[in-house]
Amino acid sequence: MVRDKSINLHLVDVENREKRLGTIIAWDGSASGLVKQSNYQARALKRGQGCGGSAKGESCKLCELKMPFNQQTMCTQSIVACQVGNIPDAILIEHSSIGCSAIHPRFNVGYKIGLARRKKKVENIQIVSTNLLERDMVFGASEKLRQSIQDAWVRFKPKAIFISAACTTAIIGEDIVSVAKEAEEKLGIPVVPLSCEGFRSKHWSTGFDISQHGIIRQIVNKNPKKQKNLINIIALWGTDYFSEMLNPLGLKVNYLIDMATVDELAQSSEAIASATFCHTLGSYYAAALEQEYGVPDIKAPQPYGFPATDDWLRAISKVANKEKEVEEYIIKEHERVQPKIDELKKKLKGVKGFVATGSAYAHGIISVLKELGVEVNGSVVFHHDPVYDGGDERQDTLKYLVDNYGDIEHLTVSKTQQFQFYGLLRRVNPDFIIIRHNGLAPLAAKVGIPAFALGDEHLPVGYEGIIRVGEALLNVLARRKFGENLKKHVKLPYTKWWLEQEDPFILAKHPEILDEEQEVMVKKEKLC
Amino acid sequence: MLGKLDSNEQTNSIVHPRYGCAIGAAYTVSAIPRGIPLVHCGPGCVDKQYFMLSFNNGYQGGGYSGGSAIPSVNAGENEVVFGGEKKLDDLIKSSLKIMDGDLFVVLSGCIGELVGDDVGSVVKKYQKKGYPIVYAETGGFKGNNLIGHEIVTQAIIDQFVGVYSGEKEKGLINLWSEVPYFNTNWRGDFIEIKRILEGAGFKVNIFFGSESRGIKDWTDIPRAQFNLVLSPWVGLKTAKHLEKKYNQPYLHIPIIPIGAEQTTEFIRKVVNFSGINNGKSEEFIEKEENRYYYFLDHFADFFSEFWFGLPSKYAVIGDSAYNIALNKFLVNQLGLLPVLQIITDNPTEKYREIIQKQYKELAEDVSTEVQFIEDGYIIEKKLLEADFGTTSPIIFSSAWERDVIKQLNGIIIETCCPSSFEVVINRTYIGYTGGLTLLEKIYTTSISSGA
Repeated sequence: MVRDKSINLHLVDVENREKRLGTIIAWDGSASGLVKQSNYQARALKRGQGCGGSAKGESCKLCELKMPFNQQTMCTQSIVACQVGNIPDAILIEHSSIGCSAIHPRFNVGYKIGLARRKKKVENIQIVSTNLLERDMVFGASEKLRQSIQDAWVRFKPKAIFISAACTTAIIGEDIVSVAKEAEEKLGIPVVPLSCEGFRSKHWSTGFDISQHGIIRQIVNKNPKKQKNLINIIALWGTDYFSEMLNPLGLKVNYLIDMATVDELAQSSEAIASATFCHTLGSYYAAALEQEYGVPDIKAPQPYGFPATDDWLRAISKVANKEKEVEEYIIKEHERVQPKIDELKKKLKGVKGFVATGSAYAHGIISVLKELGVEVNGSVVFHHDPVYDGGDERQDTLKYLVDNYGDIEHLTVSKTQQFQFYGLLRRVNPDFIIIRHNGLAPLAAKVGIPAFALGDEHLPVGYEGIIRVGEALLNVLARRKFGENLKKHVKLPYTKWWLEQEDPFILAKHPEILDEEQEVMVKKEKLC
Repeated sequence: MLGKLDSNEQTNSIVHPRYGCAIGAAYTVSAIPRGIPLVHCGPGCVDKQYFMLSFNNGYQGGGYSGGSAIPSVNAGENEVVFGGEKKLDDLIKSSLKIMDGDLFVVLSGCIGELVGDDVGSVVKKYQKKGYPIVYAETGGFKGNNLIGHEIVTQAIIDQFVGVYSGEKEKGLINLWSEVPYFNTNWRGDFIEIKRILEGAGFKVNIFFGSESRGIKDWTDIPRAQFNLVLSPWVGLKTAKHLEKKYNQPYLHIPIIPIGAEQTTEFIRKVVNFSGINNGKSEEFIEKEENRYYYFLDHFADFFSEFWFGLPSKYAVIGDSAYNIALNKFLVNQLGLLPVLQIITDNPTEKYREIIQKQYKELAEDVSTEVQFIEDGYIIEKKLLEADFGTTSPIIFSSAWERDVIKQLNGIIIETCCPSSFEVVINRTYIGYTGGLTLLEKIYTTSISSGA
C-alpha cells in the first residue's frame, strides 16, 4: 500500500479521531454488518481527506445513531491525565478548575499498581492543578499557569512538563501554547501544551492521540541511534507479560506511555518496531513513529488467541530477523498450553460471555473467549474506529475476529451508557461480563450477572493469556451468588416503560415518543 | 522566575486534591432517596466527581442514581458554539421518561455558565407543568463540592419546598451536618446521629442516606421547630436562609460528638435549646453511657497494659468537620498529644475564626493551632517537617499522605476524602457507637502495622 503522510506532526494539535478515522459512538447490529459498513480498506486509502475517508462520497460516513438521552462518561482531559500524568520524572499541569482534577485519587491507585507491576518505585502520582476560580474566568489565568509551571519546576525538577487545557481554559481562550514556549526557553526542558478540553471530541480516546502527538513532537529523540534489540509496546498499566513472549526472540520491551520515564519515551524512535496490546490505543503512536523515523509498525492483528498470536509473533520475527527461532517457539508454546486449555474448555462448556470494553481490545478478548469454547453472541464497545491510523488491512481487528471465529450477532457501539446496558444484557442473557471503564458493571451485578473487571489489560495476551483468562473466569463465575441474591433486593433507577423497551436505541429511531403527552410522574405536594 | 510567589509556600497550585468542584454536589442529590441529578456540563465532569467523592473515597458506590446512572448533556463543540439549551431540553424530557425518581435536580457546569445558557428558563418550563424539578448553578469555578452542596440544598428549598406559613412541630429537627459522600463515613454517621436524637426524644428530618424518607423529609422542612447545624461551617448558610424564609431558629454546634463525654454534652445542648422535657433524654443518656463504659472498662486493660508501645503524638489532616471532632476526642478521651492540625476543605473566610477558637480550647489544659492549607505538596511537606519526637506518630488523613507517613514510620488512619485504601459500608466513628469503633480502628491499626 502506498503510504501518504497521514499524520501531520507540524501542527500543535492532533486532528480528532472522528475526523481522522470516522469514529462513531452509537451503532447497533452484527459484527459482520459493522465490518461491511466500516469498509476498512477503502477508508484506509482515503485517510487524510477528511470525514474519516473521503471528502465527497456519502458512503464515507458510518451511520451513527443519535440518542436524545445520555449519561455521564469520561473525557479526553481525563485520558491525558492517565497518560502523560503517569510519567514518573515528568509533571503534568492541569490548567483548569479543581473539579477537572477530581479523578486523581483513582489515577493514583492505578499508577501505584502500575509501578508495582513494572517493578518501579511505588509512589504517589504528582499532577498540579492551576486551580482556577470565577475571577480567572473573567480576567484570564496565564499568570496562574506561569506560577504553577514554576512550582512544578522548583518542587519536582521534572525532565519534562505537560500542560493540559480544559473546557474553561479553551472557552476563555487561554494561550497555553505561548506560555509553554516561553517556559521551555526559560527552563531548558520540553514543555508540551495539549489541547484536550473535554468538549472537543465525542470520544475520550482522542485523548490518547493528543498525548502521543505531544510526546512524538517534543519528547521523542529526533536523531535516533538504532537499538537492535528494543521493541516498543504501546500499553497502559498491564503486567509485564510481553517480556515472556519477546525475550526468547532476543528482544527487550520498551513500554509506552504509562510508567515510562522521559528517557524511555525519548528512545522510542530508536526501536526496531512498535506493537501494542490494543490498536485503539497504540495505532497513532506506532504509525507516527513509522512515518517519521522509519520504526516499523507491526502489521498484524493483536496477540489474542492462537492464530493472531502466531501472526503477531511472525510479523515481529521478520523485523528482528528471528524467523527460524519464532517457528520453534510457536510450536513449543502451542504444545505447552494446549492441554491446559483443553482442561479449561471442559470446565467452561456451555458458558456464555459478554464483553464490554474499548473497541479493538474487545475484538481481542472475544477471540480469547472463543478459544476457551465460551459462547459470545453479544458485546458492547465504547466507540468504533472503522479504520486505525496504521491503515494496514492485517490490523483490521474486527474483520479478523469475524473471519476466524465467526459472527457476533449483537455488536453494539455505546459510550458507557448504563441505561442501554440492561436491554443489551437481556437480549443475550450471559453468565458473566468482562468489563473495562466504570459504570456498566454495577448494573450487571444488580441484575445478577457477575463481572470480571479486567484491570490488568495484559492478562489475555499471548498463549498463556488464554489460560490466565480461563482461570480468572472460573473465579468470576463463582461470584454469581452475590448477584443472584442482590437482584432480589435492589431496584434500578429506570422506569418500567424503559426497562420494557426491546430496542436500546428506540429513542434515536422514534424521538417522537418523547413528545407524546406525559403524565406528571410525581405530583408536587402542596404545602399550604 | 515565571511566577511571583515562593513555590515553597501555598500558591494557586494544588497537588493531591482533597475535594471535588461545585458540580460534585450531584452526589448531594443522589444521596436523597429517589433524588435524580441531571448535569448540564461536558463529558467527564461528573465522572471525575464520582472517583473523588465516592469510588476512591471508601468505595461507597453510586447507589440508586449516582455513578454512571447520572444523565448528562455531555456538551460538545456544537453546544459551546451554539449554546446547549436545546440539548438540555432533550435531556430533561427524556430523563423524565427514562429515570424513575421523585425529585430531579439539574446542575449546571462550567461550559453552560461560560457560554451563557439560560438553564433556569429551560427548567422553569417543566416546573410550570408540575414536574418535581429544580436547577442549581454549580459551575466548577464557583468553588468546591462543599460550596456546591449548599447551592443545591438551597435550590431544593426555594424551588421545590416553597412557601409555608403554617404551624411548627416542637421537637422536630432539620439536621444539617456532614456532606454526603465527601465525608467518607456519612452513611453510618447519619444513622448514629438520628438514633441519638430520636433516643433523646426528637423527630429528625435527615434528608440523606438510608434513614431518610426522601422528599418527605424535604417537604417537612418548614414544619420543623429549628435547624441543627452540626458542623463547623457547612450548613450555616442554609440555616441562615431558613431562618429568614420560615422564621426558623437554628442551633450551631461546630463539634460532631465522638465518644460518651462529647455525645452526652451534645444531647443536653440540643434538649436545652429546644425546651423539650429532658426526662427521655436523661434516661437515654444513662443507658448509652452504661453500655459505653462497660466496653471502655474492658478496653482499659489493653490501653494500660499493652507492653509494646502505643502512639501518643498525632496529626489530623482533613476537612473541618472531622478534623475538629477527632481532635476533641483524641485529646479528651485518650490524652493524646496534638502536633500538627491542617484543615483542607477551604472554609469560607468568615468562618475561620470560629474554627480556630475550637482548637484554642480543645481541653482545659490543651490548646493548639490549626492551619488552613489545600495544596497537598505543602501539606505533606509540613507533615514531614513536624516534630513528632522519637516515637511513631499516628496520622489521621486522606490517602495522599501515605507516602510521607511511610517516611515518618507513622501509623495512618484514613478519615477524610479521598480515603482510597479503606472500604466503608455502614461504619460510623461518631456518637456512642462510633467512638468505640474508632478506638478499635486506631488500636488495631497501631498494633498490627509492624506485625
